Amino acid sequence: MRCSLLLLLVSSLLFAPVLQAESKGWQLFKQSQLAVQTNNFDASYVVIKGEQITSFRWLHGLHEQQQLEQLVPMDVDGIDILRKGKIVYYLTPEKPALITLSSYIKELPSLLYLPIEDLRELYDPVSGSVSQMGGRSAQLLRLSAFHPGRLSYWLWLDIETGFPLRIDTVAEGHQVLERWLVTHLHISPELPASLQALLELPLPTPDHRQLQPRGSAPLASDIQLAWLPSGFKMIEDPLVVPSLGVPLLHYWLLTDGLHQVSVFVQQPNQQPPQAYRDGATTIYVHSTDQFDVTVIGPVTLEIARQIANAVRYD
Amino acid sequence: MSSKQQHCQSAGQTPQSNSAEPTVESSLDWLSAAIDEQGVSSQQLDRLLQDEQLQQHYERYHLIGAAIRQELPKQIQLDFSAQFAASLQQEAVHQLQPHGSILQRVGARFKAAANSEWFKPTAQTAIAASVALMAVVGVQHYQQPYEQELMSPLPVLQTQPVAGFATPVSLSQTTVDNRLEQHAHQAMLEQQRRLQELLNAHHQQVRVLEQAALLNEQPQPAVDAEPNGNN
Repeated sequence: MRCSLLLLLVSSLLFAPVLQAESKGWQLFKQSQLAVQTNNFDASYVVIKGEQITSFRWLHGLHEQQQLEQLVPMDVDGIDILRKGKIVYYLTPEKPALITLSSYIKELPSLLYLPIEDLRELYDPVSGSVSQMGGRSAQLLRLSAFHPGRLSYWLWLDIETGFPLRIDTVAEGHQVLERWLVTHLHISPELPASLQALLELPLPTPDHRQLQPRGSAPLASDIQLAWLPSGFKMIEDPLVVPSLGVPLLHYWLLTDGLHQVSVFVQQPNQQPPQAYRDGATTIYVHSTDQFDVTVIGPVTLEIARQIANAVRYD
Repeated sequence: MSSKQQHCQSAGQTPQSNSAEPTVESSLDWLSAAIDEQGVSSQQLDRLLQDEQLQQHYERYHLIGAAIRQELPKQIQLDFSAQFAASLQQEAVHQLQPHGSILQRVGARFKAAANSEWFKPTAQTAIAASVALMAVVGVQHYQQPYEQELMSPLPVLQTQPVAGFATPVSLSQTTVDNRLEQHAHQAMLEQQRRLQELLNAHHQQVRVLEQAALLNEQPQPAVDAEPNGNN
C-alpha cells in the first residue's frame, strides 16, 4: 500500500509540469482563437509559398452577437468573400455568386477555428521564446504533430491581444512550406466601417433547395481505397462529386478534422509519377494501366504516395 | 536694351514713332521705370491705384516683358478668375456617398447567384482565375526516382505557360528534335490544365465541406429572402 502511494506521488510530481506546460500551450492557443473570433479588427496579411506571395485584406466584427467577416484578395480584382454568421458568400466579377454554409471562411487558416478538443488528438503544444514582430512582442507556440506524416504549425501570438501574427506550416526537419504573416492589424472597439456598410446590404439567405446535396454521379463500385493515413477518415457522402473535363471513375474526400485530402481516380493517361507542391498542398499523380490517381491535400509526399498506391480494383 | 525700350518695341512702337503722342508716352515713362524696379513716388503710386487705364498699361507692360523673356505659358488666360468661375459652374456636382461603392459592387452580384454554376468544369476555370486563392503558379515539380527525393531539392515547374516559352518555329527550321519538344510542351500544358482543374475541384469540396452538417442543424428550410428575387 505504501509502495503504491509512493509511486502515485512520484508519478504526479514527474508529470505535473508536463501537464501544466500542455495546459498553458492550449490556453495560449485558445486566446488566439478568441482573438480572431471576438474582436473587431481590420488586418492585412500575406501568404508566402516559396517565391510566390499573395496578399489579403481581412476585416472582422461582431454585430448583435453575430460575426461579420470580409476577406479580399488584393492581387485579383473584384473578388469579395463575405461571412455573416454561418453563411459565406463568394463574389466574383460577372459570375454567379456562390453561397455556402460554413462556420468560417475556408481560405483562412483552419487551425484558428477548430475545436481544441479535436486538435488535442493531433498536436502537442509547446510554447517557445518571446520575440519582436512588427514592433509587438510575440510568443512562439509550436503545435507539433504526434504523427510524423502530419504537418506541424508554428504560431507567433501577440502577447497583448493573443492575435496570431505569423503561422508557419512546417514539414519534418523544420522545413517551412507556407508562411501566413500579418502585415497590418488594427483592433478597435467599433465595427470596421466597411463591415458597417455591409450591414446595410440585404444579404440573401440561401435557398434551402440550393444548398441541398445533389445526387452524385455514379462511381465505379469496384474501386477501393485500402489504406488511410493515421487520424484520417473518409467522408462517406461528399456534397458534390466534382464534375471534371476528364470524367471521374471514383472520388474520395478524406479528413482528420483539420486537413482535407481529395483522391481523384480517372481514366489512365500513362504518365510517369509526378508530384507538385503549392505551399503546404501536395499534388501527387500516380498512373497505372487501369487508372490515374491524383492525391491533393496538405500531407507529406510520402503520405500522398501511400494513399495513391492504396487505390485498387477489388 | 532697357525695359522701357523692350516694352515699346515689343508693342511695335519705336521711340520715334511714339513721338506723335509725346504727352501720353512721357506720362508712361515713370510707369515703365517702375516695372524695371527703378522706384516710384507716392504721388505716382496713388495715381496708379486710382487710374484704371494706367493699371491696364501696367499689366500690359508686365505681359510684354514676360513675353520677351519667354516666361509666358503657351495659352495665356487673361481673365483666369472669370473663366474658372464659368468652368466651375458647368462642372457636374459630385457627392461622395460613404460606402456606396461597396454596396453597389457587392449588391449587384447577388442578382445572378446560382451555386450549381460553380460545380461545372467551365465555371471552375473561371474560379481559378479569381477565387482560387492558391493558384498553381510556380509550384515545385517532382519527377525523379524516390531514392533521390530526399537527396536533392524539388525542381521548379511553371504550371502556367511562361511568356516566350512557346516560341513559334517556322516549317523550314522544324527538325525531329523540336517537333518532339513541341509535342512534349503540348503534353505538359495539357497536364497542367488537368491538374489545375483537380486543384480547383479540391478547393471547392473544402468550401462546402460543412454544408451538410450545418443544414442538418437547421431542420426548418431557410427561407429564400433574396431581395432581388432570383437565385
